[in-house]
Amino acid sequence: MMDLNEKNISAAPEGGVLETPKRTLLQENWILFRKNSLAMAGLVIFVLFFLIAVAGVFLTSGKDPIFDPALVRLQEKLRPPLSKPNLETLKPEEIPPFGIYLFGTDDLGRDVFVRMLQGSWVSLTVGFVAVGIAVVIGVFLGGIAGYYGNKRIRLGHLLCPIFLGVGFAGLVSGKTVVGLVLLLLGLGAGTVIGSRGDSRASQRVPVGLSVLFLNLFSVDVLITGLVDIMLCFPSFFLILTVVALLPASIYNIMIIIGLTSWMGATRFVRAEFLSLREQDFVTAARALGLSSRRIIFRHMVPNAMAPVLVSATIGIATAILTEAGLSFLGFGVPPPHATWGNILSNGKNFIFDAPWLTFVPGFAILVVVLAFNLFGEGLRDVLNPKLRERH
Amino acid sequence: MLGARPMTSRNDLLLRVEDLHVFFHSDGEISRAVDGVSYDVRKGETVCLVGESGCGKTVSALAILGLIPQPPGEVTGERILFKGKNLLELDEEALQKIRGREISMIFQEPMTSLNPVFTVGDQIEEVIITHEGVDRAEAEQRAVELLIDVGIPSPEERVRDYPHNLSGGQRQRVMIAMALACGPEVVIADEPTTALDVTVQAQILHLFRELQDKKKMAVLHITHNLGVVAEIADRIYIMYAGVMVETGNGEQIFHDPSHPYTMGLLDALPNRSRKGQPLYSIPGAVPDPAHKPLGCPFHPRCPYVEESCRKEFPEMCDFGDRHFVRCPIINKQRKGS
Repeated sequence: MMDLNEKNISAAPEGGVLETPKRTLLQENWILFRKNSLAMAGLVIFVLFFLIAVAGVFLTSGKDPIFDPALVRLQEKLRPPLSKPNLETLKPEEIPPFGIYLFGTDDLGRDVFVRMLQGSWVSLTVGFVAVGIAVVIGVFLGGIAGYYGNKRIRLGHLLCPIFLGVGFAGLVSGKTVVGLVLLLLGLGAGTVIGSRGDSRASQRVPVGLSVLFLNLFSVDVLITGLVDIMLCFPSFFLILTVVALLPASIYNIMIIIGLTSWMGATRFVRAEFLSLREQDFVTAARALGLSSRRIIFRHMVPNAMAPVLVSATIGIATAILTEAGLSFLGFGVPPPHATWGNILSNGKNFIFDAPWLTFVPGFAILVVVLAFNLFGEGLRDVLNPKLRERH
Repeated sequence: MLGARPMTSRNDLLLRVEDLHVFFHSDGEISRAVDGVSYDVRKGETVCLVGESGCGKTVSALAILGLIPQPPGEVTGERILFKGKNLLELDEEALQKIRGREISMIFQEPMTSLNPVFTVGDQIEEVIITHEGVDRAEAEQRAVELLIDVGIPSPEERVRDYPHNLSGGQRQRVMIAMALACGPEVVIADEPTTALDVTVQAQILHLFRELQDKKKMAVLHITHNLGVVAEIADRIYIMYAGVMVETGNGEQIFHDPSHPYTMGLLDALPNRSRKGQPLYSIPGAVPDPAHKPLGCPFHPRCPYVEESCRKEFPEMCDFGDRHFVRCPIINKQRKGS
């Protein structure tokens, strides 16, 4: 391959016969990905779902939507899918899209198709925003654990933020003197611990302050410990607890799902960083005078993203499922707004009279979650050279 | 430690490592990777640091740039002087300004020393932008010029290539271009030709010579290849088990090797005059840096070993004309004869 490239260089200007098409990494991965038909099916469904969701938000939102998901037609309740509306009893603006109830109507005569459209946007945004939050936290914490893992956390590192936090709280709550003293203590601890840093020169510390340098544990222990603690709680119950305390809104749901699902990404990034840290190009970048921040975020993160992308794709499926589960239990997005979960939940009361009310959203969730999982697994096969040979 | 040097003016001295120690702590043991090493690099000079794998060559070079992770590493020593500054006392921020701009480093493996996800142009430009704060267009212009300097054909197209599009030799040329981007005064080349095949090796060494003459920089060349050393060195330092055992110029080292280890190294080279005979090899193996023998570190493998070698750490002996050897036994023999 190297030989070919060498020839390619000399042959390129004339466009000689030896010229091989030069592919970028992305193109090579795409060619491999295309061979996996299940993953391709997943990708196609994902793109379709994306388009439908975007169309959905335009068609069903706003003050005077083109299709109104909340439009109640009591005389048309529980119509089966593909049934024609009774045009005589409907006002012109009440006629469903395409002049037909594509997925039937629910117990209030609302068009399930339009409600599904509205719900698809919720599912999509919940999936992406929640996973986005999780990935950002995961990359940040995992990166720190992997890159700075050996750094020690000393007593001062913990005391400084505690003093500052409590002192600030004291100031806010009116206890000015105590607050000020604590703030000063915190600042003092911060300067002492910060001034020494981790420079190579061994600097002497006054005896009284040496207690601040009491060696507690390493950064790695702190972060992996945090991950393990978070993983101890069954995340669904954690989410349920938090949701019960916070007002139910789509944004809270996204943030909560995100804040309870970053552990996988953290572990992946940490593991990648541990191996990347020892790579020559990282040492080379340091030897050329680049700053640690630049090395971490510009050089190491892109190299560590492959497993994170895979887990994120599958994470989107999980987040969609979690949101649907929450909505089904009634903790999710509040009712006038349709989501796949609350359509399903609503439909279970009529499961024998109107099975489409449960079947349609259930099937949609199944298909989308399956598509994301297949896509994620295909991505993993492509990005993991060890798995490539199997196909 | 090496005594006075009447021959050189003080201004010539660029980098001086004095009694450097690098220890690594692991599982309660202390590996003494570099154990009291001193060397000088002068303006425009090629200095070769020679020794077998694991003798502390690379570690001592990384210590100059403050690239030893601490912990588990521990760098102590008298001082590392660079243009009047003691690098051991600088903080990370000050070191970052020196790395790449005044002292830069080239690594052994061109295959892994470039970031696979960025184009080579990006990576060269990044170094220039970081240190000189120029805008992107100018940095790209400079990157192309650098690639011309290191002899890469059609550089305008190559800057948009990813490392995997290039051959090993070309990647090493890119690494050299990156190291030279900001016109450093010292380049530390850590076995820059080891991973390359012989013809490419010769090309790269030639390129080094050429660039060194053109840019007036000093090169600290770390290698275990004595053939390379013979070709390029102005001054040679031979290391064994973290200790400097012999230093001199090419003439002294190759024609008058005076430390038993250097003699062994030279005897181990294939030689036409001994055609048909099996190659010589120094008996035994390099000591584990955590369990070095008492006394002279080379004594278990040394043919000239005497009782005192097992007890006392030998001093550097002056053989005249800046030729120093850490072997009192040979010194005694020479003086006696």
